[in-house]
Amino acid sequence: MPSLLITLFYALFAILVWTSDASATDNKYLQVNGPCHLQFPKDHGSHPGYRTEWWYYTGHLTTENHRRFGYQLTFFRSQLRPNFVDDNHRLPKSDWRSNQIYLAHAAISDLGGKRHLYVEELSRAALQLAGVNQKNMLTEIYLKNWHTRIGPATHQLVMQNSKFSFELNLIPEKPPVLHGQYGYSRKGASAESASCYYSFTRLKTEGTLRIGRNRHHVKGQSWMDHEFSSAPLEPNLVGWDWFGLQLSDRTEIMIYLLRTRHGKISPASSGTYVRNTVSSRHLDRNDFNITVLKYWQSAKSKASYPAGWMMRIPSLGVKLKISPNIADQEMITTMSTGVTYWEGSVDVDGTVKGKPVQGQGYVELTGYDQPFNAPM
Amino acid sequence: MVSINFLLKAFVWFNLRYLKRHYGRTLAVILGIAVGAAVFTSVRLSIHASLESFSRSMDLIAGQADRVILRPGGRIPDALISQLIRHPAINHASPVLSTYVVVEGIDPKPLLLIGIDPILDRMFRTWRSEDLPTTSSTQPKSFWSTIIEIPFSLLLPASVARDNGWQTNDTIILQHVERKTAFKIVGLLHNSDFALAENGQIAITDIATFQEFTGLYGEVDRIDLQIYPEASADDMADLKSILPADVSLSLPSEQKDIGRNLIRAYQLNLSVLSFVSLFVGMFLVYSLVALNAASRRREMAILRSIGASPRLLFVLFLADGLFLGVIGWMVALPISAILVKYLIKGVSQTISTLFVRLSVEQVALAPWELLLSFCITAIISIAAAWQPAREAMQISPLEVLTSRHSTLKFKQFTGRLAIIGLTFIIMVWPLTQLPGIRGFPLPGYAATFFLFVGFALLSPWCLCHIGRLITPLLSKMAGSVAFLAGKYIGNSDTRTAISVGALITAVALFIALVVMIQSFRSTVSLWVQQTVAGDLFVVPKMGQLNRHRYPFPQKAVEVFQKLETRADYVAFRRYPMHRQQIPYQFEAIDFEVFFKHAGFLWIEGVPETVHLRLMKGEGVVVSEVFANRTGLKVGDRLQAAIDTIQIDLPILGIIRDYRTHGGVVYFALDAFEKLRSAYRDRPNARLHQWSGLRFFFTDNHPDIDMLVEDLRKEIVTKCPVPVDMISGRQLRQGILKIFDETFAVTTALLLIALLVATVGIAVTLVVMVLERSRELNTLFAIGSSFGQIQAMIFWEALVIVLIGQFLGWGCGYLLSLILVFVINQQSFGWTFLYHIDWRTLAITLPLIISAALLATLPAIRSVFYKPPASLLREQ
Repeated sequence: MPSLLITLFYALFAILVWTSDASATDNKYLQVNGPCHLQFPKDHGSHPGYRTEWWYYTGHLTTENHRRFGYQLTFFRSQLRPNFVDDNHRLPKSDWRSNQIYLAHAAISDLGGKRHLYVEELSRAALQLAGVNQKNMLTEIYLKNWHTRIGPATHQLVMQNSKFSFELNLIPEKPPVLHGQYGYSRKGASAESASCYYSFTRLKTEGTLRIGRNRHHVKGQSWMDHEFSSAPLEPNLVGWDWFGLQLSDRTEIMIYLLRTRHGKISPASSGTYVRNTVSSRHLDRNDFNITVLKYWQSAKSKASYPAGWMMRIPSLGVKLKISPNIADQEMITTMSTGVTYWEGSVDVDGTVKGKPVQGQGYVELTGYDQPFNAPM
Repeated sequence: MVSINFLLKAFVWFNLRYLKRHYGRTLAVILGIAVGAAVFTSVRLSIHASLESFSRSMDLIAGQADRVILRPGGRIPDALISQLIRHPAINHASPVLSTYVVVEGIDPKPLLLIGIDPILDRMFRTWRSEDLPTTSSTQPKSFWSTIIEIPFSLLLPASVARDNGWQTNDTIILQHVERKTAFKIVGLLHNSDFALAENGQIAITDIATFQEFTGLYGEVDRIDLQIYPEASADDMADLKSILPADVSLSLPSEQKDIGRNLIRAYQLNLSVLSFVSLFVGMFLVYSLVALNAASRRREMAILRSIGASPRLLFVLFLADGLFLGVIGWMVALPISAILVKYLIKGVSQTISTLFVRLSVEQVALAPWELLLSFCITAIISIAAAWQPAREAMQISPLEVLTSRHSTLKFKQFTGRLAIIGLTFIIMVWPLTQLPGIRGFPLPGYAATFFLFVGFALLSPWCLCHIGRLITPLLSKMAGSVAFLAGKYIGNSDTRTAISVGALITAVALFIALVVMIQSFRSTVSLWVQQTVAGDLFVVPKMGQLNRHRYPFPQKAVEVFQKLETRADYVAFRRYPMHRQQIPYQFEAIDFEVFFKHAGFLWIEGVPETVHLRLMKGEGVVVSEVFANRTGLKVGDRLQAAIDTIQIDLPILGIIRDYRTHGGVVYFALDAFEKLRSAYRDRPNARLHQWSGLRFFFTDNHPDIDMLVEDLRKEIVTKCPVPVDMISGRQLRQGILKIFDETFAVTTALLLIALLVATVGIAVTLVVMVLERSRELNTLFAIGSSFGQIQAMIFWEALVIVLIGQFLGWGCGYLLSLILVFVINQQSFGWTFLYHIDWRTLAITLPLIISAALLATLPAIRSVFYKPPASLLREQ
């Protein structure tokens, strides 16, 4: 599950509470309440009718002289209203009339330089400013001059900004992994508290990265999530911790922890263990145990975030220590989602069935700045 | 070196006590200065407030843009945005549309409806919810996204909502060219930042709603840009290359500068006019300080004999002037506060009518303007005191021991002064031939200054010679009393001459302004009859306010074409354009019908031949303003891109036109529509696009008003869209009413200047009498009656006033020529048919003489201010 899911869920919940007119918006979005029947490449594209959707890339890159970077590129789609028909105005529609807003975040963690850079974009899906195109097995998600093109064999990522930019080619080394029950990923007690969710957990990556005026040729590994849903988070939740780890034994682990207002972990929390073959195993709340080792406080937001974890999955013999590569990888996204969260590169060290493993990954922490009642 | 402390003490002992003793005349002079300073200060504050209001509004609307994409006379395809947003030179881009709308059911000021994409626009303009306690760059998404989410919703400044009793979730009906539509108020804007544009009379809606409401699908008025600071010259060149050829990439300040330049000429003219009151007040200071210097010679001689240096006396008399100026300025402040409340309305209304739309509710205290008025008042007061102070310097200590004064050999200088004065007057001619400097009539004002100085320098010579010339005549007319008066004038000194200068200035200004205003009015009157002819004018709803940017929809055009009326109609299409930052209107008009019923006031070009060529579309005629501003002449070619249509046409003639938004270019409507239809890719290229119509009734019906009313009713019944209609008679009356209102401020300033001049005459005459107390008492002692002496003073006053009037007329006539043909041309680009309104002058000038003679009463009363015995005892 991609980390910003929580962000969006909370945001959408807030929007629902704030802006409406419940009668106008309730129960009109499409609901995820059963098998998703995901088919590719069709389901790489957008799913209008569902309230939110995102395409989420993270990864680790290394230059020829072994300088390491983490990166994040996420596209979000948000449907403003379930139904856009306005009976009072049967005028021809303007090209600007759109019910869909696209948002995007991009970040670079310069692990050697111990700095974290991030930028945001936002636009409505109109006049080719943002949107999703699907043609000839190719899916393009774009927002201004950022885009990802998902083809049968590669994913291409392009983002450009004056601070930094990158162009990366990603080759899936494993087929998409469907989380939960064949992609139907439960997030709460009711059947509708769920999303359709799949990932490419290991993508071989190569391309160029520019920071300021310095351009680097880079290689590495990436992770991709795609998820859509209409359900708000359950009201007793305050935040979400998400882990996406790639281990040196070519296995991957995804776990999300839903945190309650009382500091407990919701039973709806779950995960997926991806074997080094093509198979995967669903992990429920009782399969894993994650303890926080230390905390870091942001000077900007004053939020106190976990900054080190011990992950145990007894049934798989997994015991991993997870450490952030940079303490400050906080994202304060005032110009798009308005959400403050921590999204950062981590290193992993530990054992699997007694054998030592290393790894790298990304962790997302939300709801630490304030309980999640901010709008998107 | 004399210490400041000592100077202050000397000032209190020597000057202040004396001024206090003669508080009556001191107060009169302070009041005169105060009125002058108050007029100047309040005019400056009013214009400053208007300019600030305009600039602020333009800045708020322009936001943080550093470039703007515009199409002269047209709009820009909004599809361009996707290219721009990805361009390497561009950091952010935001499309903007705006139009004035009215809210149905109430009669408020029109609202400026602004259509934006609230997402793209966030980097350009700051606005926030009324409910947020502090300014925040991040608004809750629910606030800005609601106008995207809900079609036909808008955000209003809280002040507008409060004034009209509206609340969030209320529905208001907005009316535009084609339709009335209900809009839901989905949020209130805090009264800050962007919400203050147009003095808060705005409404913000989503760009999609705007396009659907106005029918402007696929088009925007402009696209604001933020360029990357590191964008290279190649990037910028590439950016220009992706823009259509007729689209301009300009600085947002250009629009503001155009408006500011238009206002600036008005500002300068009004400032100069208001300065006249202060300038006339300068003569008051001169009179009083000169009187003090003259009547205190003995005291000064004593001071000199006990060790006071000439420099100390000089400084003390300058301080006299400065004191009067500073106190006058302080008294002026509360008067300004009252005056400005009245002036601001008139000034902002005039600017709105003539130049750019603005609304000023409050006048902010402008420290620089106050400092300016203080400095000018102080400088003028010191300058006025300079000559008497220099005279005081020359007093000899010996005067303590003798009753004789060492008077200046004034008469020797009158001839020399007259030659210098004539030289100044002659210099006026070459100055008037110089062009204005960057739109400012500086040579014109320099010519005016030379003219005033020239006549002021000429006045002593005229006083002496005319005085001597008319003495025998006066003697015959009124006997020895008038003879003595004539002799006195013939022997008068600089003080009298300079006081006459005040009168010359006031009279000259009066005559010149009366001539200019009347010339202007009669020319405008002729223009409205000839060029603004017609019985009924019809434009789309809010057409005038929206500067004719929205033509009639096709269905309305079809109705007009099928109207069953005996009236001819002239259709026109008007585009607001710019050429070299000079605004003008391009008007394509049906010349064939127009020339049947109306015509132009020609300055250049032969109407008979030009008419035919115009009807064939072989060229254009341009207004005098356009020609003067752009430097184009008859025979030159006008090249322009008007809403993508390229024109390259010869200028066939120059006409008078007094439209307020710059110049006008007229072209044949048929020919223009043919050019437009050549652009087949443009939507509706082959359709008529009319900005308006004017109807002419062809028969000489006795009751044209009834015909007009019937036609109005028919249009209201048949026209499928709302329109604005006005009868020709009302329109023409309206234009002249606006004209009169515009000059109301000018006239008020003129009257104040005259008032100050009258006070000046009174003070001058009192000075003259008081100076001659001993002489007059001697006359009384040797047998003259009180009545004879009063009559003599009256004759002296009459002669002074008449000479002042005579010279004032000469100066005024020349000044009127400068105003009509130089300053107006350099300021606004237009001239008028010169016309002297003898009737007004014949009525008002005797009134001025009477007022001036009334001003002699205090002087006559003061003849025996001191008993003769006491005066003789002093000697």
